[in-house]
Formats: sequence, structure tokens, C-alpha cells
Amino acid sequence: MPDAPPAHPDTALLIVGHGSTVNPDSGAPSLAHAAAIRKRGIFARVGCVFWKEEPSLRDWPFLFNDDSDIRQVCVVPNFISEGYFTRTVIPRELGLDPSAAVTHRVGTEQRWVYCPPVGNHPAMTDLLLQRAREVAPGVREEETSLLIVGHGTGLNDNSAVAAKRQAELLRERSRYAAVLSTYMEEPPLIADWATLTDTPNVVVVPFFISDGLHSYQDIPVLLGIETEPTASASERLRGGEVFAQNPRRLHGRSLYYASAIGTEAHFADIIVEQALGALAPAVATSA
Amino acid sequence: MKETFLIGQIIALASADGGCELRHRDDAGRPARELEPHADPEDAAALALYDDAGNYRPLKTAPNLRHGWRLALDGQEGLRLALELFYPARLGAWRVYQRGRLDTTPLRETLGRQTGMYRVTAKLTDEQADALVGRFCRSDGGCLRAIFWRRDRAGTVPSTRLPPEKFDPACDQTTGKTLAEDDVPLICQEACNLLVAEVRAVVKGERPAGE
Ligand code: SF4
Repeated sequence: MPDAPPAHPDTALLIVGHGSTVNPDSGAPSLAHAAAIRKRGIFARVGCVFWKEEPSLRDWPFLFNDDSDIRQVCVVPNFISEGYFTRTVIPRELGLDPSAAVTHRVGTEQRWVYCPPVGNHPAMTDLLLQRAREVAPGVREEETSLLIVGHGTGLNDNSAVAAKRQAELLRERSRYAAVLSTYMEEPPLIADWATLTDTPNVVVVPFFISDGLHSYQDIPVLLGIETEPTASASERLRGGEVFAQNPRRLHGRSLYYASAIGTEAHFADIIVEQALGALAPAVATSA
Repeated sequence: MKETFLIGQIIALASADGGCELRHRDDAGRPARELEPHADPEDAAALALYDDAGNYRPLKTAPNLRHGWRLALDGQEGLRLALELFYPARLGAWRVYQRGRLDTTPLRETLGRQTGMYRVTAKLTDEQADALVGRFCRSDGGCLRAIFWRRDRAGTVPSTRLPPEKFDPACDQTTGKTLAEDDVPLICQEACNLLVAEVRAVVKGERPAGE
């Protein structure tokens, strides 16, 4: 823990994650980013709450309630896109004012500032590009297709729109032969990757927050690199196996599969920027 | 080392240098050299993640904290963070209770506000609730929190199968003895996600409500 006083001694950061009751990988990135941010000494406190793990979103009255120096709490959803969770579930469960960015808490006199989700940050495109290049070092982009995978469908979920937008931006910023947004449950389906592309190399980056069920168990099956869902990421990690088998030869191509974008360490920077940006909008736009 | 307080399965010991050391309470008397040493409060997250057999612990207040470690901490802030990672939001809940401001939510309300795949949980019968809470929340093998919520607004006891001590924050849920003044009871102000998920399994006939 840093010894110097935090840069924002009156401010706490609260990261909101989805979490899971069956698999530790879902909440792991939020917890890891929280620990990394704590070490930087920016905020007085850094905590997490989850929809499906402890502490629960419903536990908010029990957070930051011992320290009268904390005057404001920045709430940053660690979610890929605006949607049902960020617009409905999180404000409802955290008791936030649905019509305002700032909620004044009676009792503690804290202001709780609701910030945009991480997926909205402009740096997301560069992170996806960096991830794609890291997983397939040295491949010629002109001979490579880049596929961004989103969830698709779901409850008022805009993750499909977000993945499409990222694909457009990546097309402008890179030299890949093609950049496509694909989905698990709606066309263009990631399962059709071999017919969607015609390059010798294919790089797949999941536009997900964690290596939970989807990116670690479902997508590998849809890609054809696993025949059935396997053990969770944490179980296999402990067994020494990670995304270590790139590239795989399938359908006469070299397929490179990355872990979920949300496990990227730079996500911590984005979380911090979403929080500080909401406190000082002028700083956010110049960043 | 002198005991300072208990919280759940953890004992806080005062170290000679004025700091504090956390251990599993079963390890309180073991020689330090037999225990895996830790000194970063952030390590609590990993120590709390799996049980002795290596299984994920989705419920941090379940009585399955792993053994064989000690965590040395040298200040209040480190202690606060470590306990927050071991028992999320439990210190804060206890503080709110002591201030007389703890709101509790009856089980029927928790189930009634579920959406999506958990909406069916509202169909749980009173008999099923009695058996399920008696099985799932019991301190012996289930969860170490003292239950403060009621089954419904009328104040029905959550389960007739649980002893009165299960609803008493002064009772040590591990031993059944009375807690000392500085000990921190783990309290349950509202049914957790795991109980709600189990309710779903019972309503759908995937699991029996009771034993
Ligand atoms: S409902 Fe409360 S007492 Fe029961 S298992 Fe969940 S946290 Fe423990």
C-alpha cells in the first residue's frame, strides 16, 4: 500500500462487476484491477461490488461508511457497453438517482457519481488492436483477418453495437485484410469464421470483460478448437494451460485466439480515467 | 501471541511489534513456521478464493476457509482491507447495525424482486422455504452469518429448523459460545444470491428443499 496520501483523499472508487456464483474467473479481472489501482494511491479507497458475487450491489450501504473523509464515490461499471445492466440494474441496486449523474446520500452526505462503463472509453480500440498484435506477433496484417467477438442479443444489450463500432474503428486504424464484428448468438456468427474470412491467418479477440463462460468455454467450441466446453479458465490455469496453443491449424488456416479484452492490465487505467473524467469533464475530453 | 478478536473463522492476534496477524482460528496455536507466511493485505483475496480441497468459495461466509497460512499486517488500513477481502462488506454491515440503522429485507421480498431466470423463485412454498433455509444457511456446514431477515413482513421465522442462536449476533456461530465484546459477528441482512440460486433449483425440482 502506498504511504503517501492519495491524490484524491476525499474520493473512493467503486468498480461494478458482473461476477458469478459458480466460477471465479468472472469477477477476477475487476478484483485484479481494483488491487492494481489501490497500489497507485490515487483514491482514498478502491472497492468492488458484483451482481452475483460478494460484496453484492445491495451491500452498498456498508461500503465507505467508516471514514468521514470520503465525500464522494465514483461508480465505474466494468461492462463492455451501455445496456440493461448499466441503465437499469446497477442504478436500481445501488439506489442511484436514475435521472442524474450524481446521487446525494442522506446520512453519510457523500455524493455518488455514476460514471460511464469502461467499454465506452476511446482507448478501447487501441487496446483491442494491441491485444490482436500481441496474440499473433509477426503475422502480416495484410494476410490476416481480425474478428472481434461480442455476445449479441440479450436483454437490451448494446454489446453487439459496441463490437460493430470497434470493428469500424479498427478498420481505419490497422492494415488487416478484414476486420469483422461477429457474435455468439446472432449473425455474423463466430462459428462461421472460416467462411467469413479468406485470409491465411485469422485473429479472434473476445470483446468481453472476463475469461468467464463465454470466452473460455463457449467460443473455443464455436471456433472448433475444443469439441466440448472444458474446465474453467482458473482450473486450467492452475493446470498450467492458458491461451498457449496459438496458432492452431484449422481449415487450412492459422487461427490465433486471444483471452478476453477485459483481462488486459491497461483496463485499470481506463477505469481510473472513467472515474476522474466524470469528476472533471474537461480533463476527460482532453485525455 | 495474544488474541485480539474473532471474525468468522479468522482470529486476529497481536504481534510483538504492535502489528497484527490473521490466521484461520484452527491454526491459532500452531507454530508460525508451519504456516505459509503472507504480509500483503491484498493476499487475502487469493486466500479466500478456494477451500482446502481447492474448490471455489462463492460464499465467503461459508465455514470452509482454507487453513495453513498467516497474514501479518502492520496498520489499521491493511487490517481493514484484508478483512474486506475475506468477508466483504461484513465490517460495514456490523457498523451500520451498531448505529441502529440496519435495514433488513424479508425473504419474500428478495424473491419477489427477482427478474429473468430467477423470477420463478417467487413460487417457493412456505414449507420449502423452511426446509431449504434450514439446510442451506445452517452454521454447521452452510454459512456462518447470523440471520436478521424474516421470511415475510409478518415476521415469520426464516426456518423452524434452525436453532435460536442462528439469529443471535452475540453467538459465535462456530462454537455456539458467546462472542467477546471486540469480536465481529457476520450478519445476514438479506438472502444472498447463492440462496436465491438454490431456491430456483428447488422450485424447478432439481434439488430437494431439505436434507
Ligand atoms: S442467505 Fe445469508 S445466512 Fe443464508 S447462506 Fe446466504 S449469506 Fe448465509
